[in-house]
Amino acid sequence: MILSLIVLIPLIFAALTLLTKTKEQARGMALVATVAVLILTLYMYFNFDSTIATNQFEEMYQWVPSLGITYHLGVDGIAMPLILLNAIVLPFLILYTWNDDRKAPNKFYALILATEGAAIGVFAALDFFLFYIFWELTLIPLFFMVSIWGGPNKHHASIKFFIYTHVASLVMLLGIFGLYFAAWDATGVPNLDIPYLLSQFQFIESGLMKDLIFLALLFGFIVKLPVVPFHSWQPDAYTEAPTAGSVLFVMLKIGGYGIFKIMLPLLPFTASPDLMITILAALGAISIIYGAFVALSQRDLKRMIVYSSVSHMGYVTLGAAGLVSLSVSGAMFQQFSHGLIMSVMFMASGVINAATGTRIINDLGGLAQKMPKLAVIMVLTFMASLGLPGLTGFVAEVSVLSGTFVNLPVYVMIALLAIVITAAYHLWALQRAMFGVFNEKLGTIVDINSYQTLSMGLIAILILYFGLNPSPVLDMMLTNSENIISLMAAMGV
Amino acid sequence: MAIGDFAFLIPLLPALAFVLTFFLGKKLPNGGAIIPIAAIATSFVISLLITLNLLQNPEEVITQSYSWFALFNVGVLVDPLAAVMLTMVTFVSLLIHIYSVGYMSHDAAPSRYFAETALFTASMLSLILSDNILQLFVSWELVGLCSYLLIGFWYQKPSAATAAKKAFLTTRIGDVMFLAGIVLLFADLFTIFNGTIPAGTYILRFDEIFAHIPEIAAINANIFGMEVSHITIITLLFFGGAVGKSGQFPLHVWLPDAMEGPTTVSALIHAATMVTAGVYLVARTFPMFIAAPDSLLVVAYLGAFTAIFAATMGIVMNDLKRVLAYSTISQLGYMMLGLGVGAAIGAEAVGVSLFHLINHAFFKALLFLCAGSVIHAVGTHDMRQLGGVAKVMPITALTMIIAAFSLAGFGIPGTSIGFSGFMSKDPIIESAYLFAESSGMWLPYLFSIVAALLTSLYIFRLIFMTFFGKPRTDYGGHESPASMTIPLSILALFALVFGALTRTSFYHFLEETFTNNFVNMDIPALAEMGGYHLASHAGHEPLLILWMPLIVAVAGLLIAYLVYGLKIVNMDNLVSRNNPVYKLLYNRYYQNEIFTDFFSVKVIYEGFAFASRSVERGFDWLVNWISDITIETGESVRQFQTGVIQTYATTVVAGVGLLIILIRVIMEVI
Amino acid sequence: MIPVELYIGLAVIIFTIGLYGFMTQRSGIRMLMSVELMLNSANLNLVAFSSYNADLTGQVFALYSIALAACEAAIGFAILMAIFRMKDTINLDSFNVLRW
Repeated sequence: MILSLIVLIPLIFAALTLLTKTKEQARGMALVATVAVLILTLYMYFNFDSTIATNQFEEMYQWVPSLGITYHLGVDGIAMPLILLNAIVLPFLILYTWNDDRKAPNKFYALILATEGAAIGVFAALDFFLFYIFWELTLIPLFFMVSIWGGPNKHHASIKFFIYTHVASLVMLLGIFGLYFAAWDATGVPNLDIPYLLSQFQFIESGLMKDLIFLALLFGFIVKLPVVPFHSWQPDAYTEAPTAGSVLFVMLKIGGYGIFKIMLPLLPFTASPDLMITILAALGAISIIYGAFVALSQRDLKRMIVYSSVSHMGYVTLGAAGLVSLSVSGAMFQQFSHGLIMSVMFMASGVINAATGTRIINDLGGLAQKMPKLAVIMVLTFMASLGLPGLTGFVAEVSVLSGTFVNLPVYVMIALLAIVITAAYHLWALQRAMFGVFNEKLGTIVDINSYQTLSMGLIAILILYFGLNPSPVLDMMLTNSENIISLMAAMGV
Repeated sequence: MAIGDFAFLIPLLPALAFVLTFFLGKKLPNGGAIIPIAAIATSFVISLLITLNLLQNPEEVITQSYSWFALFNVGVLVDPLAAVMLTMVTFVSLLIHIYSVGYMSHDAAPSRYFAETALFTASMLSLILSDNILQLFVSWELVGLCSYLLIGFWYQKPSAATAAKKAFLTTRIGDVMFLAGIVLLFADLFTIFNGTIPAGTYILRFDEIFAHIPEIAAINANIFGMEVSHITIITLLFFGGAVGKSGQFPLHVWLPDAMEGPTTVSALIHAATMVTAGVYLVARTFPMFIAAPDSLLVVAYLGAFTAIFAATMGIVMNDLKRVLAYSTISQLGYMMLGLGVGAAIGAEAVGVSLFHLINHAFFKALLFLCAGSVIHAVGTHDMRQLGGVAKVMPITALTMIIAAFSLAGFGIPGTSIGFSGFMSKDPIIESAYLFAESSGMWLPYLFSIVAALLTSLYIFRLIFMTFFGKPRTDYGGHESPASMTIPLSILALFALVFGALTRTSFYHFLEETFTNNFVNMDIPALAEMGGYHLASHAGHEPLLILWMPLIVAVAGLLIAYLVYGLKIVNMDNLVSRNNPVYKLLYNRYYQNEIFTDFFSVKVIYEGFAFASRSVERGFDWLVNWISDITIETGESVRQFQTGVIQTYATTVVAGVGLLIILIRVIMEVI
Repeated sequence: MIPVELYIGLAVIIFTIGLYGFMTQRSGIRMLMSVELMLNSANLNLVAFSSYNADLTGQVFALYSIALAACEAAIGFAILMAIFRMKDTINLDSFNVLRW
């Protein structure tokens, strides 16, 4: 029941928010909905048993029995932290936009809520039909978010984003169908239940069929993640999106979620697991180093942040390919950590853009003198992003690197090379934008307002908290990854 | 409760002070300096008590471990090695904080300064106290962060912001090597444990690591056709981290630039404490180094080379702080050499090196604080504009001269008479001789002797140019306030007598580092494994060797006096762009051009990054090309839609006809 | 009894006339009439087979078809009226706005 509430409250409130007339009503409505979700999620989190790897808070109702479609929700240690991440960040995102003036605020907040509901829906769904509905539902609000409130190149970016990821979703849908019909053929009973279908995968006889299904599903997930070379929708979409849209994009950890929840349990049963592991690891390592280099060459602060995101997402696939419980849980933690860090980074680039009218790093300069509060928060998040210990990024990185090294040393060495580059572009941007002599051409600059300070500051404190004490979310990830790895070990992978 | 149970408070109190100062400092007088001072004073008292306790009973070290996350832990380990470092760091940090009250009194943001130095002290203490390599790395990075923030303390100055970035990035190269070492070590231990680690076992804790040294050494990797033991790779990677942090060649380039920060920061972080973290790391993991073939030789050679290399540049610098910075690099080279000669003297090397580390901390902090006092009073770093400062600032001058004698290593061999620096530097040079004798490798010893001459030369050049002679410009100036001179005097006292007083007990104390209730290492057996032949330590050196360090130190003093005091040589002839040696030294061997301008900017930034940018354009082009192709196909195919119904009807009829024919044909074939 | 081939032959002739009309005529009303012809040829077939097989379903179907044709004619003429009001002609050659 509680899980349905968490999914439905944002969706219902999204519809209600559409009906409001003023900015005040819209943002109030959105805040009420997101805070309600946060409270329910926290309640669920504190009643969550992190020592077992099974689905908890399950709900199941028949929906279309003749096709095996059920309304089946549940969370495990993979989904719980991601739901928590969405529930935590969204109220702060509403606060962050509290004083902004923009056209059609009712639609704006409605779209934010719709994205939240759809994203949580993906994490909670345990039926492929429901999963796919929510999966596609995340596309629509984000498309409008970019195409209505986006930057100068918004139409190109939004259509590119929509078509690119939609095509990938369709390929994934083919994979789902493959799984569904193969199981239907074998057992004579249609069933779209995710845990059931995952357990049926091993009974598919044709090795080629298994690999095709695996690759089709994988394609859908890695495009969403995204990893190089399937990332080119991301820089445009993230950069053109309004700040709230960019934050929503990074909250949408559905690609990585799919890898852990769906890909890894299937991996040992594919015809050529070694090849699949190599694909995952190579994609991860390439993303890490390639994203770092491209980020180094960027002049636009926001674009730089986006490419750093590409680089960080490489750790997710690399850690997943590591197949040691430490590396897999590290990769899951990377998703959680990345969500927190990137949301503050996008918020920071958003306020800089609003205050100065530009995001070109070389046109900025000395902002720390005029915006001391922002400077403190930015230094903290940039340090978290470049993997400074004591902050969340490090926990993820060190887990992924040390765990993965056991099985895949070469790829880890490539990733290690990128660490210096990662530090370089972060510090370069900090130095040019925040430090040095103030660029007088920027005119009068005021520091961030109290709502922005509150929202960015509190997320930054969470980055510090989970960096010092990752166990509250890492333990449940560890439980689940140990479960996956023991399955692998039983299969001799 | 034993005092050891409070060991965890040592880093925690300054950390707490950081939080308080950060949020409340602005409202308090002096930027809330009293908070960190009180916290660090308490930490100092606890450290001192623990050390005194431990002196009585060196086998009973203090260990506490708590689970952190996954397979990792946080913990406290106070063994003799950690105890002396703790006491030194808290003591120097306390003095520098007191000194800073006066030094930072005119600054705009003293609360930020005190918050950051408190955070630094906390991280440094946590680094020393770590009982596992990961916590050490975490603190290692945090001190790097504090160094970054404090070098860039005056971030409005572009040069400070650039220097901060350079420092962070250069040390980051070392840090990545260190991290790679940890990752490799973890993977090896994980494999040794076969992937199943019993609950409560933290595989990165030093006792676990040391217990598995033989197994790690047995794993070999094939690099370019050479069989290399994993233990060698791991230790060399660790040493790579130490090279970055401790400013060894070739990653020393950040340290001179780091002088852009406040002088107190240079004294605390870039002379006394943080830069010695690399030495501490090697000392801490010494059992691994001695079990690793070739690793200690690398340490010895690189340390000795850095000692002489940096000293040559120290001679030509005209900036007070830069001379001291190169001096620091050079002395750190000595400490590394002291560890490297463990190849000949075994575990004693830790004591030899650490003793120099502690003494160096005292006299180098003193040198920097004196320089800071001069800079604070006269407002310039440039020695060419100074001269005769001793008349205006007698206390500063006296304390700095004491520090200079300590650095140059004046003392009488074979007795307990001498400055602290002598007491610790002499054993290093002696050990280097022993190492040379037993292994036949004379280069480190020669380097260390020549570097001793250069050390004496550059420091007395500094003394003569700054404090004696006639003022070269009208700089004004006055003696500094008591809050600054009292710490100077205390440090001077230590630079004067600490070495002589504690020498024997110190070595004895440090020898117990690896034999106690936490780890119990058989160093000679490990040395056997590493292929090192330990020499028996007996004072049978020739008399010349014994007196050599003193002779070169006096020679350096004499040359400096003749050239800079009496001016018997006209320096203008030597100091010119036409003198290639001077030009090479003054331009610091063109390292900036090679490393920064060429390698980082041209190769990495412009080369790699812009290549990736082009590839990125390629990806974008590919995606857009696919969409363009789709659109163009639609464009051409839509011509069929004429809008004339009759055409459609004709096409339908023709299509149906074609279908019928097709079906007939197919039926015929089947 | 008249053999069913004759009905079919008649239906083919009517259908062909309708098809020819549809393809050659330009006036909207004539085209609609041609469409009616084709539909009725199909109806003829339905009825013929129905009676040949002694199964009433075909005749019922034919009734449906006639009703449908009536609807279609009504809509078609309404559209033609609208076009005539707009363009003053029902020559469909001048009304090809739906091309590419």
